[in-house]
Amino acid sequence: MSIHIALVNTKEQKISLEKAKNFISSGDYGAESIFIGRVRNENSGKKVTAVTYDAHDQAVIKSFQSICNAAREKFDKNTKIFLEHAKGYAPVGEVSILIAIGSGHRDEAFKICRYILEEVKHQSPIWKKEHYVDGKEEWLPGHSLRPKKEVK
Amino acid sequence: MKIKLKLYASSKFLSDNDTLNVELPNNSTIGDLRNILGKIISEKNLQHLQNLHETSAFFGEVDEVINDNYKLKDKETISIIPPIGGG
Repeated sequence: MSIHIALVNTKEQKISLEKAKNFISSGDYGAESIFIGRVRNENSGKKVTAVTYDAHDQAVIKSFQSICNAAREKFDKNTKIFLEHAKGYAPVGEVSILIAIGSGHRDEAFKICRYILEEVKHQSPIWKKEHYVDGKEEWLPGHSLRPKKEVK
Repeated sequence: MKIKLKLYASSKFLSDNDTLNVELPNNSTIGDLRNILGKIISEKNLQHLQNLHETSAFFGEVDEVINDNYKLKDKETISIIPPIGGG
């Protein structure tokens, strides 16, 4: 199996760096690239305490599979890809997304990692609600999936 | 006819549940659904959602974007997909 994808319910488990490292580790690969996204304590001048992630589960998994397949096709057919994203409540410091790549060479490993991150942000139906120190909360604006030709 | 609209993220302000039952005339389209959602948002005075019906996409039952001309079927389940932003 060369691709591992999952939405991780934060109530039940945490995204594991060790699991990702074990998944991609192989003598076949001269390069490993790992990206870890974490919940940050500040956004646009507001002090953040946590983020709640909502997701359309089936469509997210479908998009993850499609993005990873496209990355393999585009950059390296022999790469190994680990991709997990959090769903649910995640306090500051918690891992929100982890992408780990095993590849023959560093250039492909970096490119695949970056490609997957950007495509997830633009294709996967995941949403963030930030919680602030003053008790307020807000769903963040994002990228519209509405077909462009329909937008007046 | 009635459809069931599954709600995500900010669209959950439209209902106390994770779904919203919407009544529409027969042969209505996604474009008609947008207009009705716009009216609901106005009636409920949800000012922070004022563009939601215009900026959202809609998924059909196979979890892919359906366009404004798509004809809805009675009792169909549709998902509203507000602008996304994971990572």
